[in-house]
Amino acid sequence: MSLTDKFAHIAALRPARKREVAPPRAADLSPECDRLAQLLGAQIRRNHYGEHLSLQQWYATPEMCTPDARSLSLLLPRGTPEAHAIAESSADPEQWLFLDTETTGLAGGTGTYAFLVGLAWWDAGGLQVEQFFMRDLDEEHSLLLELSERMARRPVLVTFNGKCFDWPLLETRYRMTRAIPSFTPKVHLDLLHPARQLWRLRLGSVRLQELERHILAVEGHALEWSRHDDIDSSLIPEMYFDYLRGGAAEPLAGVFRHNQMDLRGLAALAGKILTLIDSGNGAADAPHHSTHDPLDLYSLSRLLQRRGNPARARELYETALHVGLPHPVERLAQRELAHLAKRELDYTRATSLWEELRQAPKVVKRNAAGILQEDAQRALEAAIEAAEQLAIYYEHRAKQPRRAAELTSHAIAELRGAQLAGGIGAARARRIEGRLARRLARLERHGVIRTTHKLLRAGNV
Amino acid sequence: MSQSLAVRPAQDAVTLARVREIVEQLAARDRSGEILTAVHHIPAREAKFAPMPEWVRAELVAAYGEKGVAELYSHQAAAAEAVRAGRNTVVVTPTASGKTLCYNLPVLNAVLENPDTRALYVFPTKALAQDQLAELHDLSARLGHRFGVFTYDGDTPSDARKAIREQGHIVLSNPDMLHTGILPHHTRWQRLFENLRYVVLDELHTYRGVFGSHLANVLRRLRRIARFYGADPQFICSSATIANPGELASRLAETEFEVIEENGAPAGEKFFIFYNPPVVNRFLGIRRSYINEASRVAQEFLKRKLQTIVFANSRLHTEVLLTYLQQANPMPPGQPPAIRGYRGGYLPGERREIERGLREGRIRGVVSTNALELGIDVGSLDATIMAGYPGTIASTWQRAGRAGRRSGSSCAVLVASSSPLDQFIAQHPDYFFGRSPEHAFVQPDNLEILVNHLKCAAFELPIAANETFGGINVPELCERLSEAGFLHRTGEHWHWTQEAYPADAVSLRSVTSDNFVIVDTTQETEVIGEVDFSSALTIVHPKAIYLHQGQQYHVERLDFEERKAYVKRVDVDYFTDAIRYTQVRVLERAAGDRIVLLPHSPCESSGGADAHAARSHGDVLVRSQVVGFKKIKFFTNENVGDGKLELPENEMHTTAFWLTLERPLVASLPFSVSDRQSGMFGLLHALESIATLLLMCDARDLGTAIGERPPSPGSEIEWDESPGIEAAAALAEKEFFEPNLYLYDAYPGGIGFSEPLYRAHNLLLTKTRELIAGCPCEKGCPSCVGPLGERGERAKEAALEILFRLGV
Repeated sequence: MSLTDKFAHIAALRPARKREVAPPRAADLSPECDRLAQLLGAQIRRNHYGEHLSLQQWYATPEMCTPDARSLSLLLPRGTPEAHAIAESSADPEQWLFLDTETTGLAGGTGTYAFLVGLAWWDAGGLQVEQFFMRDLDEEHSLLLELSERMARRPVLVTFNGKCFDWPLLETRYRMTRAIPSFTPKVHLDLLHPARQLWRLRLGSVRLQELERHILAVEGHALEWSRHDDIDSSLIPEMYFDYLRGGAAEPLAGVFRHNQMDLRGLAALAGKILTLIDSGNGAADAPHHSTHDPLDLYSLSRLLQRRGNPARARELYETALHVGLPHPVERLAQRELAHLAKRELDYTRATSLWEELRQAPKVVKRNAAGILQEDAQRALEAAIEAAEQLAIYYEHRAKQPRRAAELTSHAIAELRGAQLAGGIGAARARRIEGRLARRLARLERHGVIRTTHKLLRAGNV
Repeated sequence: MSQSLAVRPAQDAVTLARVREIVEQLAARDRSGEILTAVHHIPAREAKFAPMPEWVRAELVAAYGEKGVAELYSHQAAAAEAVRAGRNTVVVTPTASGKTLCYNLPVLNAVLENPDTRALYVFPTKALAQDQLAELHDLSARLGHRFGVFTYDGDTPSDARKAIREQGHIVLSNPDMLHTGILPHHTRWQRLFENLRYVVLDELHTYRGVFGSHLANVLRRLRRIARFYGADPQFICSSATIANPGELASRLAETEFEVIEENGAPAGEKFFIFYNPPVVNRFLGIRRSYINEASRVAQEFLKRKLQTIVFANSRLHTEVLLTYLQQANPMPPGQPPAIRGYRGGYLPGERREIERGLREGRIRGVVSTNALELGIDVGSLDATIMAGYPGTIASTWQRAGRAGRRSGSSCAVLVASSSPLDQFIAQHPDYFFGRSPEHAFVQPDNLEILVNHLKCAAFELPIAANETFGGINVPELCERLSEAGFLHRTGEHWHWTQEAYPADAVSLRSVTSDNFVIVDTTQETEVIGEVDFSSALTIVHPKAIYLHQGQQYHVERLDFEERKAYVKRVDVDYFTDAIRYTQVRVLERAAGDRIVLLPHSPCESSGGADAHAARSHGDVLVRSQVVGFKKIKFFTNENVGDGKLELPENEMHTTAFWLTLERPLVASLPFSVSDRQSGMFGLLHALESIATLLLMCDARDLGTAIGERPPSPGSEIEWDESPGIEAAAALAEKEFFEPNLYLYDAYPGGIGFSEPLYRAHNLLLTKTRELIAGCPCEKGCPSCVGPLGERGERAKEAALEILFRLGV
């Protein structure tokens, strides 16, 4: 029996997808490859590894933003002493290189290719976009070589989720060549993380397209590009595989356009985030409730607080509270603000916030899109924590142990109620209750013994 | 692991006296002489030492010295020298002979000589890797933490993975993790691969059949990636005693091996007892329950304060034995039980606690599944009781080795069940105690398996047109994969062109990932298990009783398209047995030979006469259909009803070994037609049992069928196009003109059993005759030719007559 007959029974050879597979085209480049170049007006790039396509486009928007070094440093991981120095050196927007890739899959690993690498940089008052494309998988080496040259010229890499996805994937591709070294960027700014901190509460999802629609395309002007005829990005790998097997060039033009829009969105987002942080930092006009959603103000305060600007954070929390926040967030803001006030020894403000928190209604409704279960739980805990904070205050500052003991027992009752209502997990509740119970025991030991002694003494006299 | 010979003379004498007492007592009870079929005394063995090789670095000598290892056993020294000389090495050693030193010594020495050196240790299970980690950590601490050693498996936290990839000199993993976690992400392991000098494969004998065939392909991928980074690692393997360790290693790693078999480790004296439960119904061949008997035997040891491990072959039996033994050894309230259970499914913390308790002697007895058979350090116990034959001689020795590690007396008792294998072993102790007859086989070129790994290989690195991968034509197969949409050819390379990650879809434990999911709909729908495609129709056909963790489920519906079986919990007094109608078509005879009577054979005085029979092996197409089922009552095995089923038929291309009985032989059998048929089916039943013994496989790895021999080799037989329950019944009545008795590999593509069976046909036939002739039943029983109810009265007689005419 021949080998061919054997193959007929092999399950592992059954076609992976149900739809028709295009017939393979001839080994040399087919007219469709040239057709794609014509269709897009792309050029063929050559180096000693071979060829690939390159497409350049200049856009007047978004416009270049000049970041403030201090704001920039807030976007870099904290704790590194050189973070500020790095921010200083990357504050030159001419050094920035925006990057976004289109790939043959999202799984990662050594068998996933970045077949389209889009780059963008500020030029002539607008955005210059350049896209590298592999017409076939053997054009990868020449593409990667050109990419590292571009990156050497602009060593500050700006991406959206590039730290987890695009950059590790490209590093894998470079390693697979065993020949072309990857250029390690001096700084890698991944805007996904600040975007998540700033808008997750309000939007829930912080996909780039959501941000374009709700954050960038507001304030009186629409975006210069339209996503209405954009492709479904989950189809991109199949579109490329079809093209590789000799399919038409036209669908890929949509992939190029999609990537261009992503790059412009990324550049616009960078400007938006930096302007917002500049204003928060005091480098520009303070954000105002007329132009800013209070949820965004709260989120910005959180970001500033976490990344080392507590003074501005306190001001913005106050503004956000003044404008008005949905209930659970209001409590979170009060809690943070009380914490900041306490650190500045402003006990008047701190205790008034804790009192407010302690007496707030206990039922928490999740009434904003991005409020997660954990936010709701944290808001619920805030009431208990406020009582505990007050107890600390009355025990150590105001020297009123009875009041402190009262507040502590009150907090324990609250906690049990919350646990019964299912608002707080058992393990967490146990931990908090342990802490409260220890405090109460200590207060009672001291308080009660002292009182008893006094009474005894009084009786003896 | 210490090699000090701290002898405990006083305690040993007591142990020995108690073991002797038990043996004598058991023997005294065995009046018929049929119960203790073997009382084998293995004398103590002196250690054979060899000096530490001169090339071992002083700090390593010192570290081992601190652990009490001043000299090496002879096999350790031989292994270290072979590795040092650059040869791929396989060390065959029994339990507790210090095998880890065989690879740790040369590997650590190389790491100390050059800190860039990297080694990958592959263990068949996660638990074994964890156990080895402790030993290596200890050595690392003694050597001032000059090398990093980590386990890398599904439990490794993701934040620790990066450090492991960079700093692990020795990475301990398992085949599954290598397959799905390491190879597809090899760029992250660049440092490991660039400097990969050693690959250690521990417990090599576990890599056989399907799992072994997969591993061979994973190793093809591993070597391919290592080559990409300029490395060509050396292999160091360890194996339990089997007949072909060198051959197995060579088949798995596709390179030459040096085999080190001589064992220099000392061992205390040991009694090995075969205990065959007494026959209670000779006519039906029914014996007393081996579970109850095993519990009684274990109790003899436990009540004499001997630390005992009891092995059972299923989780259910573990629990049953545990209950019996805990009841027999009650503890005062509030105290932890003195007898504990141990199996997969217990939490890691609990397992560690039990292992410690055993080492420290706090726990007097443990009932375990095979989970404690390999590696895990529980110290040395006094006795091992095995409830049922573990399936292979190698496993039996490994379990027996749990008692009596280096010195002192110990005892192992094998309590046989009534299955054919158990009975054969119990009644042929020489077969067991002689040189191992067990061969481990793999078929790395099984197309189904190979194609799956070729896909994974393409994902890892584009496949070059001039590459080789196993015994196939790479370009032809790659073209087929391109047509199916998996690969794309560019220039001289095929690239992976799918979004999906191929390794995720390939399980190393089955040939195809085509599984049926079992859904319990008793209350909330819940998935309770999976069965592979080939067994689905016999196990979860509609109206079947499916057993899962001792609970019965009734199969309400089988959704063939969606690959789902819907079941409901029930409590009934019967189980079901599917009636399968199987037809085999020979596609290509790879080899064939006539069976010739030997000069000394019983029925022929002149040598070299034709037995009118032939043996063959080759490719076959197996078409089977489940046409009905029988309901069989528990305990009495009465047939209490049956049902018809209309299920799709299943066609499988595989390999087979077959015997052809030619017309003169069949015609000369002095039996009625139906007795002849019974004899053939009975013979096939016994052949299958012995084949599983020789091939170290499970009964479900082989299928059997009888069919008419095709008119000429290669010509097609007619399929019976309308099989049904009647056709299946008629098959037992129908007279064959020249029947073929098939033993086929129960996996698509075959898993490498057919050719070895063809080669070993003499051994197969001889041992089959011994099994049937040695069985004490009168007219056939499940232990030899199959249950009497399913065979004619003269099945046993007829089967023996056929074997006699085949010259055995």
